[in-house]
Formats: sequence, structure tokens, C-alpha cells
Amino acid sequence: MTDQTQMHETSPTTEATDNEQQESATTPTGVSDLLSESGAGMAGYNYAYLDEHTKREVRRGVLKAISLPGHQVPFASREMPLARGWGTGGIQASLSLLGPADTFKVIDQGSDESVNAANIRRLAKTTADVETTTDTTEASVIQTRHRIPEEVLTDEQILVLQVPTTDALRRVDGSDDANRRRHAHKNYSKMWVALYENVVKWDEIQISARYPAMVNGRYLMDPSPIPRWDTTKLNDADSLFLFAAGREARIYAVPPHTDVEPLAFEDRSFQVERFDESCHRCGSTDTYLTEVTGDDGVTRYACNDASFCEKRAEHPDLSKDHHLDEDDVAWGPETPDPILSDETGGEDA
Amino acid sequence: MRALDIDPVHDTRETFRALVDATSRPGTVEQTPTTPAVHAVVATLVDHEVTLHGGGDELRTTLGRESRLDTAPFEDADVVVVDGHTDGRVTVAKRGSLKEPSEGATLVYEVADLSADTEPIDGDDDQTLTLAVSGPGVPDTRTFGVDGLPATEVEAIAEAQSGYPRGVDVYLAADDRVVGLPRSVDLSVASDVPDEEVA
Repeated sequence: MTDQTQMHETSPTTEATDNEQQESATTPTGVSDLLSESGAGMAGYNYAYLDEHTKREVRRGVLKAISLPGHQVPFASREMPLARGWGTGGIQASLSLLGPADTFKVIDQGSDESVNAANIRRLAKTTADVETTTDTTEASVIQTRHRIPEEVLTDEQILVLQVPTTDALRRVDGSDDANRRRHAHKNYSKMWVALYENVVKWDEIQISARYPAMVNGRYLMDPSPIPRWDTTKLNDADSLFLFAAGREARIYAVPPHTDVEPLAFEDRSFQVERFDESCHRCGSTDTYLTEVTGDDGVTRYACNDASFCEKRAEHPDLSKDHHLDEDDVAWGPETPDPILSDETGGEDA
Repeated sequence: MRALDIDPVHDTRETFRALVDATSRPGTVEQTPTTPAVHAVVATLVDHEVTLHGGGDELRTTLGRESRLDTAPFEDADVVVVDGHTDGRVTVAKRGSLKEPSEGATLVYEVADLSADTEPIDGDDDQTLTLAVSGPGVPDTRTFGVDGLPATEVEAIAEAQSGYPRGVDVYLAADDRVVGLPRSVDLSVASDVPDEEVA
């Protein structure tokens, strides 16, 4: 325990007591010394906030999660400087990934500017010395809550999704133990029955966000509360998707080029949200829109992905794959919907 | 980890990113920041929370000095460092349970050489195998070359991974290169025995 290396890796509190000693040293003995001289990082904290022991725990979980697409891998979720349920899982995954060469973007419901997103971004910038951006195409790691960006992600990018509820089966059974047994035996009949009952009652599947999807033909996955619009982006993507839940202490993943199929019936196919309006700012008709009621009482529709909306406002013809070499990369739903535009004109969006 | 010339913060983080790429894109050859890759991988993943089997004296001594070494027999270990091959014993490594398959072992093989599909491996051609992987992370099929891993061992790995989701996850390491073979992929020998599917 007296080894130099161990000193370097000790918990933040221990390092804080050693601070005086470190400052008096003239020659740097580790990266933390160099970082404190460059003004990066907070004194007494390890690089990227988490201690190395925590990072190893998260990293082991992440690798097992990628090896088992869709399976919820337990990990020892730590206390973070914000309440559980506010993105603590996402932060732990992001901070275990981030290095000085990374560019980090954080979005909260499509917005870069919400308080939570801004704070998480600042935490990473202060402790991990990363570049931050709001431009999806420039980021190497993107932490997100409830949305997948409109612009197509590449094989250089990792998307970290914050997850409030890890298990898709919790809709039909509150017992975690029973649900884990169901996953073990790929027994998803209870979910199928629930969807069938939904169809009987409403004539369609009434799930808006958190639409259950089958990963690699084996595990039923809760894709976090992304809208149905985003669910198809998980299928056969170029990027890696990590799902991290701090409160529930679970990590799961969808590797690139993996089959992700939203549950549906032969005669009740999977439908995405449809909008009759266009974005009132940029005029887009092929993006996910949210309803905004202003102070004047008028309801307008606006792009949910604020960063892409700004780009579209300047260049209305910008495609979602404008930054890629190849054209017509499949990403997100086609517009107009071939099924709805033929039969119902998109009215039941 | 400085005894092994590994920066405990930044080299392990870069190694982790290499492992993330290797696992999410099986069959691609990724680079670790330090040599040998097997040391970098163990330094990144192993501490007293998991059990280790195998590994050189230097590695074990360094881990032990940091109170990060908890050893276990081959059959019970979470992380196993393999020198070349296990003589087929990989099939008795821990595979986890149906309820918690992530408890399956991670095996790190030290092999002689690794190459992406396009680069030929110098040296004895008789020992070079071309392996093919398909499955999650692989569009279509990906092939890569490995030197110093017997075809029988590849068969044994495929066998140990055959009961998906139970199974073992494998990393092949040589010099500063690493290839991931998670249990989700189908693994087979593409050359030497072209008609023999092992997975």
C-alpha cells in the first residue's frame, strides 16, 4: 500500500490530504501533478472525477454488456455529485470512457442547454479536460437523455444513454427476480400478451416512449425513454450504444451492426410518430417535433434536436447524413411514411 | 502499475477504449498504448473485486503489491491469462448462469502475432490461421490472421461460447495489438481447413 502507484490511485479524500505534500514537490511524479499545473481538473480529485477502482468496475461492466447485447449487466453504481435518477449512470459510463483527446456532447431531451446537460458537460470539462461541443458531428462521445440525435452517428462515435428503467418487462411485472428469470429463458410471452391486449382495446399498440425491442434475437430491451421515432436508429447502426442506469446499477449495450427489432405483430406493424406540421423555426418535416405552447397560447411545433435545428435554420436542405462520404445512409424513419401516406394520410400519427 | 511502465490513469483508459472497440467490432485489430498488450489488459480490468488465474510473475507481483491480486483456480477465475493455449480446457472455464451470464470468464490469450485481413503475417505460414467472425458488431463476415493459436483451441473457444448467452469472452493479445472475440459472435477457422465450420 506504500507503493507510489497505489498513492496515485487512492481515493479522492486520501489524495486531498496529500495535497500539501504534492504541491511542495518540484518534479511531477504523475499525470495528476501535470494536470494541476495546467489548471485542469479540481485539486484533490482524480482525473475524470471517478477513482480508478470505480472506473475498473464500470469498465468491466461495459465490456460484458457489449459481449451480451441487450443483457442488463449489474455494476457497483457509485454516489455521484447529483441525485440518482438524474443521469448518474450515464456520467459514470461517460467519465470511464473520456480522455483528453475526446470531444464531449451532452443532450437532455434534444437540448444542449438544459441545466442538467450543461452541468454534466461542465463536470466532464473541469475534471477530464475534454473539449465540449454542441455539434453532433464533432463529438466523439455523446451522453444523452431520451433522444438519439437526428444526424447519423458514425463508427467513431459512442452514444451513452441515461436509463431510468432498465427492464422492458417491468411494464408487465413489477418483480425484478421474476423478470430476470424470464430473460434467462427468453420467455417474453407476458409482454406479447400485454401488446395483444393493447391492440384489442385500442386497435394499435399504445406505447409512446420506451418501446420494447428485441436485440440480436435474444434479449428484450428497454431502449430508455427515446420516442418510437428513434427506436429504429438502433438497428444495424455504425455507432456503439451504451445504456447506463445509476439508480438501478445496470449497464447494457447495443454494439454496431446489431439487429434491434421493435416488437410488433404481422398485422399491426411498428409505427413511428407522425407530424402534420413542420418545425416553426427551420421548416423541417423529417425530424422529431415537440409541441410547444407559447405565452400567447399558440401551439407550435419545433425540432426536438436543437443543434440540428440551428443548422437547418441556416441550411434548410441539409440532409441527416451531410457529414458522411456516402449518401442515403439509413437513419431514422423515412418521411413521408409509405404506409400512412397511402392509407390514412398520416392522420393517426 | 508503474513497475510495468503503465500509467494507471491514462494508459488504462486508452486500453479500455481499445477493448471497447475490439469488443464492439469483433475481429478488428486494435492497439494498446503499452506493450505487451496482455499487461495493459490485465492492468485495466483486474483488481481485488475479481479473481485472476495465470499471468506472469512480474504481472502478479505488481498486482499483489497494490493489493489488487485475488487468485482462483482456472475453473473459478473471472479473468484468465492464457499463454498460447489451454489445451482445450477453455471449455471448463466459468460460463456464468442463464440468469447472470455476465459472470462468465474473460480469457486473455497471449499469441505470437495478430494481423488484420489485409496484412500478411511474416514467418511460418503453417502456424498462421485465418479466423472468420460474424454476428453483432460485424457487418457480414470479418476475417483476421492469428499466429500461435492452434486450430483445436479455436474449436474449443467456439465450444465454450456455444451455449449463448452463457459462455466466455476472449481477447487475443500480441505485442501492442488486441482482438476481441465476445461470446456473441460465431467463430470459425477460414483458412487451412476451409470446409470445417467450428462454430
